[in-house]
Amino acid sequence: MELLLPLLAAVLIGAGVYLVLSRALIRLILGVSLISYGVNIAILLAGEGERRDAPPLLQLPGPYNDPLPQALILTAIVISFATTALLLVLALRAYQVTGTDHVQELADRPDPVRPPVVYADPEHPSVSPEIGTAADVEPEGEA
Amino acid sequence: MNVLTLPVLLPLLGGSVLLLVRRSGARRLVASAVSALTLAASLDIALRTLHGEILTAQMAAWAAPFGITLVADGLTGLLLGTSNVLALLTVLFAGSSLRHAPVRGAGSLLNRAREAFGAQALLQFLFMGVNMSFLTGDLFNLFVAFEVMLVASYGLLLLGGELPQLREGFKYVVINLVASSVFVVTAGMVYGLVGSLNMADIAGRIAAHGGDVRVTVLAGLLALVFATKAAVFPLGFWLPNAYPVPPAAVSAFFAAVLTKVGVYALLRSFTLMFPGEHAVALTLFALAGLTMLVGALGAIARRRWRHAMAFANVASIGYLVAGAFMGTRDGMTAALYYLVNSMAVIFVLFLVAALAERVAGPGYRKGGHLGLYPWLGAGYFTAALALTGLPPTSGFIAKYALLRAMLGAGGGLRTAVATAAVVTGLLLLYAAMRVWREFFWGESDAVHHVAIPRFMSGVTVAATVLLLSVAAFAGPLYAACGRISSQLEGNAAYRAAVLVPNAPPREGAH
Repeated sequence: MELLLPLLAAVLIGAGVYLVLSRALIRLILGVSLISYGVNIAILLAGEGERRDAPPLLQLPGPYNDPLPQALILTAIVISFATTALLLVLALRAYQVTGTDHVQELADRPDPVRPPVVYADPEHPSVSPEIGTAADVEPEGEA
Repeated sequence: MNVLTLPVLLPLLGGSVLLLVRRSGARRLVASAVSALTLAASLDIALRTLHGEILTAQMAAWAAPFGITLVADGLTGLLLGTSNVLALLTVLFAGSSLRHAPVRGAGSLLNRAREAFGAQALLQFLFMGVNMSFLTGDLFNLFVAFEVMLVASYGLLLLGGELPQLREGFKYVVINLVASSVFVVTAGMVYGLVGSLNMADIAGRIAAHGGDVRVTVLAGLLALVFATKAAVFPLGFWLPNAYPVPPAAVSAFFAAVLTKVGVYALLRSFTLMFPGEHAVALTLFALAGLTMLVGALGAIARRRWRHAMAFANVASIGYLVAGAFMGTRDGMTAALYYLVNSMAVIFVLFLVAALAERVAGPGYRKGGHLGLYPWLGAGYFTAALALTGLPPTSGFIAKYALLRAMLGAGGGLRTAVATAAVVTGLLLLYAAMRVWREFFWGESDAVHHVAIPRFMSGVTVAATVLLLSVAAFAGPLYAACGRISSQLEGNAAYRAAVLVPNAPPREGAH
């Protein structure tokens, strides 16, 4: 156990870095997730100075395990879950707009001259008229 | 209710309410009101702390080091005050600019959609993260504050979904996620080494622990993370392309404040937690010289308004880090004054760039705009003087103080960085004057008058007045910076204020 967990953290982070350096968006996202898993295990190890098995409940005899690293990991998991979801949506959107998931091709794509004009939200009908009626006309000065 | 919680809670409340408000006029009103209240609370904190007082609030009455402590010393007060003034101006500018076309030739539809899909709410969450980063006295809470700030900034950067936004946004998100992973694992390892996350407590325990290669590694890792956020060379490669893609008001706030949050975190770590890690500080000092040069050269190379200004921002980060990590109190004082000056300058430059893009498109090689937009020219001229450091602006005072501190302290590396600072000043002067020559001067048949909305020009004038007042009130401001740097030099006052032995539950707890 003493060697297994550090080794696991190292392998996860190493594999994550390798994937982050690859050219396909989806592999890149998987790499970011692997890094965050490795990081969580590394934090778990930081709380284990020596072996302390009891959970921190006062009716049990000590020595107690330190609960704080687990609280930190919990926070980190939630944050990395949300950001991974964001990254996936972002990658999907980039693929829809450009038709490629290759990092280099994406980077070489020139900026469009005009922005795309497709915006409507069926769930919020009050939003659409406000945008729609304004059309593409520029109001002069402050309304 | 402790006043220290207000700069965090008010934007959170405001952002949540903004998601529920359906009319864009009402959203503008709510956002402005919330930002004005946050500014009032921040100025209250700033005025109290700038005289040397250190305010603390123990969350939920858990006394430090066990609970999360909010701390406001002079540095926090200075940054909180300045950034919330800019936050209010950002909200006002966004309220107007999000109703108009971002650049000439485009429609206003995209910006209106951005506003309808929550740009104002995301701005409030961004302010919440920024204020929390300045106020927190807990290393892990600092990570959470950074995440709040970053997630809001992802949203703002990507809102609109144009190709440049997706392309640069993807890089921005991935780089920040990797940096955040390093940050959180470093926080975990700091806890593993010294057994505390309260920054004041960590400082005491590391001082007791003594110099150790593990402490140096942790300091280096934190420096790596914060230098990435602050865009110090060579970790700032993501910034110059990412900051010009969001809407104008947003990129002005990003450039003026978000990079400075990284600098704040560097300052806080190395004055409070790792004052003994001279090798890391020296490395940062040397890199600062390169950051300046890279920023200035990039500003010369770029042909588009906000891209050039983003590189000018990188150069100003270089000056800032150079002053802060020089290792003398004079250098720190100069850096703190430069910090306020640079936040105001970069903000004005980005607002001017936004107006110029609106009337003439993103490139600045157009010619002949001075006749039609003389006031825009005046605003640009003022900010450009302050950027390059020519009198009578605050930029001159700041750079003069920086150079005098560097040359006064002596040493080979300091002289080299001082030389880099002078060369950068000249390069920035060239870059700024070229924009002036190519955009404002000359004759061009292609210039058509496009009305600048009065509200947008009003906010730009207000920001310029703010910049001028940094010079006009240089005396009291510089004196306050001097007090802050002596407060930062020994971290004893900070630690004593946070770690009160057997403190009774504070009023801010409930």
